[in-house]
This record gives sequence, structure tokens and C-alpha cells, in this order.
Amino acid sequence: MFLALKEIKKEKIRSGLIVSMIVLIGYLIFILTSLALGLARQNTDAINSWGVDRITLNSSANVDMRQSFLTEKEAGKITKNEALIGETSVVANAKGHKQTSAVFIGLKSNQFVYKNIKLESGRNVKKAHELVVDTSFKLEGYKLGSKFKLNDDKTKYTIVGFTEDAKMNVAPVVYGQLQTWRDLRGITVGPITSAVVSKNAKYKNTEKGAKTYNKQTVIEKLPGYQAQTTTFIIMIAFLMVISLIIIAVLLYILTMQKLPNYAVLRAQGIPSKVLVMATVSQSVLLVVSGLIIATLLTTATAFIIPASIPMAFDIPVLSAVGGGLLAMAMIGGLIPIKSVLSVDPVSVIGG
Amino acid sequence: MSSFSVKNVNQIFGSGTAEVHVLHDVNFEAEPGTLSLIMGPSGSGKSTFLTIAGGLLTPTSGTVEVNGVAYNERSKKKRDALRLDSIGFVLQAYHLLPYLTVADQFKLVDKVKPNGNLSKEELDDVLDTLGIKNLLNKYPGELSGGQQQRVAIARALYPNPAIILADEPTAALDSSRVAVVGDLLKDLAIKHNKAVVVVTHDARLIDSADHLYEMKDGYLTKKEVVKA
Repeated sequence: MFLALKEIKKEKIRSGLIVSMIVLIGYLIFILTSLALGLARQNTDAINSWGVDRITLNSSANVDMRQSFLTEKEAGKITKNEALIGETSVVANAKGHKQTSAVFIGLKSNQFVYKNIKLESGRNVKKAHELVVDTSFKLEGYKLGSKFKLNDDKTKYTIVGFTEDAKMNVAPVVYGQLQTWRDLRGITVGPITSAVVSKNAKYKNTEKGAKTYNKQTVIEKLPGYQAQTTTFIIMIAFLMVISLIIIAVLLYILTMQKLPNYAVLRAQGIPSKVLVMATVSQSVLLVVSGLIIATLLTTATAFIIPASIPMAFDIPVLSAVGGGLLAMAMIGGLIPIKSVLSVDPVSVIGG
Repeated sequence: MSSFSVKNVNQIFGSGTAEVHVLHDVNFEAEPGTLSLIMGPSGSGKSTFLTIAGGLLTPTSGTVEVNGVAYNERSKKKRDALRLDSIGFVLQAYHLLPYLTVADQFKLVDKVKPNGNLSKEELDDVLDTLGIKNLLNKYPGELSGGQQQRVAIARALYPNPAIILADEPTAALDSSRVAVVGDLLKDLAIKHNKAVVVVTHDARLIDSADHLYEMKDGYLTKKEVVKA
């Protein structure tokens, strides 16, 4: 640590350049991770807020809740652990507002999902033409009591409450009554719901025409979700590998320049482990400094980023990514170690 | 009692037709308080001798003893510790760490070997003798070649070794400085009771030597010291 600190102190510009490279890489990875998380959450926030483990859909719906219709018989037995959910895509139209694409979720007021909805303001739905909507509607100028139409339906719906983080498939969610879902879909007979969700991890619907899935299976089948998540994961993984290469190359060059000095120290009896520790400490110090600055920049970004940009700053996830970068730096720092260990003190004897 | 001895050392590099016999039955002893000069032309085996004497290379046959203990009987780690404790290398390529001030060069030794080094007063005395006491806060890049060489000498002395092995210590110095370094090495031997062994081409150092050896084609022969 002594040698590492002294070198960083003396070589301020060189160290500063390496730290700035790590800051840029770290900041880019943190922002990409936050974007990936933000987008992932915009797909899944609503489902996650319901507190469900298992989801039953029509077996022919290709694990897509919007394409699923279940009759009363297919829905099976509904206990206090189950709830019916009707999902459909809608467009909210109101005079003076831009059209807003949304996902309508119909619920029954006596079931647990309805009770799990956390309101940011207002109250829950009590009547047929009342809605609780995602807070992103506020950005479009809607307030409590605002009215709008859904699709080409002539009925005017009133916003009676706002709920936070109610997004599904990157669209804001509009909660209403299950009967309203039937009306919007034009269903008069037959299906009573899109899905049956359960908070019982062992729940399984064995009715013919119905199939029960894990929540994660349904999430992964959301249109575009997996492609988007995989893209981000690959980008982050590549950046990790790039950071490993950059750190390894920089440290390798720095170490190679010091080998004649190290050979003299070895001749003088300074143990190899002191020189190895100096190299490893140097990489850790430079990377930790870079990551701290990148974290500060990311925090500043979190404060100034507009609410409309889907970014989520999740401390455990970002800490894990930071830990990953540190691990990459450690591996990068170990590459020049072989040269340090093989330094030949004999090379400095004689002219 | 001899603090440092080389007994029947042979060094052979390569094998078969590529075999080179670099050192032939070399015997050498260095007493505390004396300066021994080993001279000889390039390629005569001086550097190989110094490498073996410093425990950096194990000879093909023969032994090197420091304070009665042979290098061959020590592990690599213990040989490192022995070099740090008992042998001060003054190298032609002194390569001081460029990011350590002169004072930090000594602190590095303290980090690795906290006990048995020169006291502050003793170090001050050495720095004073070498004329570098006012350079403690300077980096090697801010020093002349001669100043760096003197810092390297002080650095070699700081662990308070019994033996000083110097490799061409005057190679980077002009004529006026050669006598100064010669006197300094002689002074080190007498004042600090060290066994100082200098390998050099430089005949101007003979005036400072107590013992003179000639290395020729791998044979080491003792010569009479004839001072100018």
C-alpha cells in the first residue's frame, strides 16, 4: 500500500488519467444498468406490486395475459389467495390532452390484488366508471377528478386515485372494475377474466384449457422484455470485459516500466510479495477511486434526470455491478503480477 | 573471523558443446573493516562472481558463506531475508524508485525490515558523509547521476548490512568524484566495520583498496596492492 500510495501521489497526471478512464467506464455501466433496471421495471412494476406467485392463463394464449380469456369453469376455484384480473390495451382520450396508450387492469374489489394497490393520492375504485391510474398520467396534466374516455367508448371515466410504479409492458396501468374490462372487450357471455393470479406458491389450476405459470415465466414472455433485458446484460458484460482489458493493459504498461526498479529491489532482498502487493493495491486504489467518482456522478444524474426517462437507481444492484467492476480490476491487476514474480535480480548486475 | 567467504566456487553455463566454464575454483574472503577490489576485463566473470556472492545465483559447485552459514542451506525466502539483513548492494544500475523521495527510499526498508536498521542519528551521519542530507525531500528525477549514486549507497547501508557488494560504483561518475567514492567506500569499511567488496574496471580505486584481486578468464588471483 505504501508504494502504491506514493506512486499515485507522485504520478498525479498518470493516475488521474487512469482514474478518469475508470470513472467513464463505471459511469457508463452504472447508467446503462439503471436504464436496464428502469426499463425492466416499466415492464413488471404492476405485476410485482400485486404480490402474486402463480398466474393461470388460457393454455392457447402463448403465456400472454392480453391474449388470454378464461371462462368461469376454466378459472376454477377462487379462494382468498386468488384474484381475477382482466387485462386489455387501451388509449386514454381527453380534450386538451395527448392520447395516452395504457394497459387497463380490471379487478374485483373483494380480492387481494385490489387491496394490495398502494395509493399515492385519492381513493380506490368503488364504482363502474371510476379509475385509479399510474402517476405518469400527472405528467400528461391529469388530476384527481379528471375525466377521459377509453378507446372509442363514449363512457367518461373519472380518475379517483393515483398509484406509483404501476407500469406494465412500458405502458401506464389504469385500474378499474373487472366488469369494465368485460365492457371494454365487448364480452357479454363466456370469459369472465384474462387470468387468475394467486399468492399461494403451490397453486395450480388443473382445469382443461387453463395452464398455471410462475410469475417470472409470464414476465419473460412479455413482448420485447427478454430481448431488451438480454441486450442490456450483453452490453454491460462487454463493458465489464472492456474495463478488464483497459485496466489490465494500463497496469501492465505501468508495471513493465517499473521492472528495472523492481529488479534492484529484489537484488536488495525486498520480497516479491511486497512488489505484488504494491501492484494489486495500486489497481484497487485506482479502481475504487474511479468507482467512487462514478457513483457520485450517477447520484447527481439520479437527481437531475427527468422523470420521463425510465431509469431506476437500485443500490443493491449498482453495488453488485460496482463489485463486479472491482473484481474485473483485481483480475486486470493480477495479469502483470506474473512479470513482477519473474523479475530477475541478476539482470541488474553488470553493465 | 571472516564474515564472508567464497569457497571452491565453479560456475558453468550451458552444456555439451555450448558449455561455458565462467568461474574456476574461486576462493575469496572478506574481513570486516576492509575494502577488497576485484578487477578484470569485461567477460572475465566479475559479474557472475558478484551474482553468486550476493546469493542471486546458486553456483554449479562450491559454497558462499555469510557469517558462517552457506547460502545453499537457505530457502529462497531466507536468502531474500539474508540479502536484506546482511548484504548491501550498490549497483551500477542503481534505479531508485522514481516515485519515492530520498527519505521514502529508507521508509520502504523500514516497512519490510522494521528492526536492525540504522538509527536516525546513524543515518544522518551517513547522509552527512555522503553530502546528501539536504536532499531528503527530493525525488530521484530531481537529482544528478552522482547524487543518485550516493543515495543508492546510503540506501544499501541503511539496513546496516555486514557486507557491501558494489558493482562498478564509479561508472556514472567523473574523475573528481571517483576519489570521493573510493574514500567513502574505504571510510564505510573502517568507520562502520563493514566488509566492502567492489567489482570494477576502474584502476583509480586501487588507492582506496586494502586487498586487490584480479579476475581473468574465470580465475581469481590475489595481487599486491601497489598504490600510486
